[in-house]
Amino acid sequence: MNTVPFSLRRVGLIAGVTLREALRQKLLHALVLIAAGLVLGVRGLRDFNFGISELKFIADFGDGAIAGFGAALTIALTAQLFFSEIEHRTALTLLAKPVWRTEFLLGKFLGVAVVAVAFCGLLTATLVGVLGQRQLALQVDQPEAWAAAHAVNFGALWVSAYLHALKLALLAAGTLLVASFAQTQIFAVMAGGAGFVICHLQGLAQAAYERNAASLMSVPATLIHWMFPDFQRFVLPADGTWTWSGLAQVSVYAGVYAAVALALAVRSFREREV
Amino acid sequence: MIASGSPAVELSGLTKDFALGLRGVRLRAVDNLSLAIAPGEIFGLLGPNGSGKSTTIKVILGLLRPTTGVCRVFGVSSEQVEARLAVGYLPEAPHFYRFLSGRELVTFYGRICGLQGATLAARVVEVITWVGLAEAADRRVGTYSKGMLQRIGLAQALVHDPQLVILDEPTAGVDPIGAAAITELIRELKARGKTVLITSHLLAQIEEVCDRVAILDKGRLLACGTVAALSAEGKNSSDTLNAAEQAELAQWLVARGKTAAALGGPSARLDQIFIERVERNRQQTEERAP
Repeated sequence: MNTVPFSLRRVGLIAGVTLREALRQKLLHALVLIAAGLVLGVRGLRDFNFGISELKFIADFGDGAIAGFGAALTIALTAQLFFSEIEHRTALTLLAKPVWRTEFLLGKFLGVAVVAVAFCGLLTATLVGVLGQRQLALQVDQPEAWAAAHAVNFGALWVSAYLHALKLALLAAGTLLVASFAQTQIFAVMAGGAGFVICHLQGLAQAAYERNAASLMSVPATLIHWMFPDFQRFVLPADGTWTWSGLAQVSVYAGVYAAVALALAVRSFREREV
Repeated sequence: MIASGSPAVELSGLTKDFALGLRGVRLRAVDNLSLAIAPGEIFGLLGPNGSGKSTTIKVILGLLRPTTGVCRVFGVSSEQVEARLAVGYLPEAPHFYRFLSGRELVTFYGRICGLQGATLAARVVEVITWVGLAEAADRRVGTYSKGMLQRIGLAQALVHDPQLVILDEPTAGVDPIGAAAITELIRELKARGKTVLITSHLLAQIEEVCDRVAILDKGRLLACGTVAALSAEGKNSSDTLNAAEQAELAQWLVARGKTAAALGGPSARLDQIFIERVERNRQQTEERAP
């Protein structure tokens, strides 16, 4: 009979130490500073607004910074924290204790996921601050030109932050899956980056091939559509509308893909010789 | 569950192959190794670099799966997480989370092993004091010297009071004073009834503390037994004294107010036995090679 059951406590302990290690990474500091700097300094770029309203430009730019830097941060951090355990052989000491490899991987995943959530929260709060301050200034400086229709939808910003966090957690699970069998950190980072691009574009490709059903490419496109999550689902429509049921559906969608990726990662990591 | 009456470690026909590349070429790291380590014994695993010592230890710890054969720890298959409840492990040249203090590190591993509350706090203090790091316990591990890293490694290995302690090169890179201190700690483990499996290149250290030793080369077991028995195996009858000669020698020593200890250590020391066995094995391997 098995006397060492799976323990969420051990998962939490490993996640805690992963989080502490993540918070010490210079890469994390650099990416957070650059992303926050871009969001704070976006007003300096408003001449490049392509004709859209200033507030809309700031919101879109900030959203893009969260998405781009968040993805880079998640992929690099997941690979780095996993491989530092292997290369520094701290995994050896940890796995020589009564610890399931599932607990080890879930702990790593949760540690990175917490960082990703905090990143999205921090950057969104910064963006909300910048937008709020600019909206107030516009209302005071140009009361005649100000139209209530242009008011920022702050609720949508936080919903978008939630969707970004879900997407980054999914990306962390995918990168961990690659890391579980990859021999080098650079391979895991490159594959994670490629996965991010595929996940963003596969929905568009699938839609294009569906319009032309006879295309030979429709078969691999369908395959890829099922294998990779569609990151377009995590993007709010341009008008910022959202529903609770829509959010729940996307959450379940992300949960299922993350669970499958983590299950495959555990399967692969069990076979790995540490 | 630890099976009572079972050997601390039991290896039976253990073979471990590693795949090299994609062409199906395999490296045999451990070759049909069978041995048993009794509870309470200090057992030395010797061998040159690449002899299969670390692979054997990793199989015992469940970090590697045997290709064939069986490995049991207190009667439990080493592939089960349960087997590691009774095991403490100090890896060779250990690395730990550098940002934790010594106390935080040992506490972390204690929690991982299921300790909590007052029991954990008391145990952490006990093992840190026992390894002599009480004063440096609140310093970050990243600032520790090699000797201190070995000591904190020993503390984390012992925090959950395991019955079997596996020490992989515990004195590697440690100065002679630190090495002597670690040797003393190993003796204390023995006094506390722990089973210790130790690998070391310092054969004098092994000879000093081990009840039995096994010599490995190229994954094969060359010899296993007490140092005295191995030493006796290596002697020719013409090299040894007969009873009359021994009596004569004893008289000679007594006349000068000395004891047999004045003659020094055993005629064949462990390092001699080790080198002789490994060289003989390599010669035989070369002769067998086509």
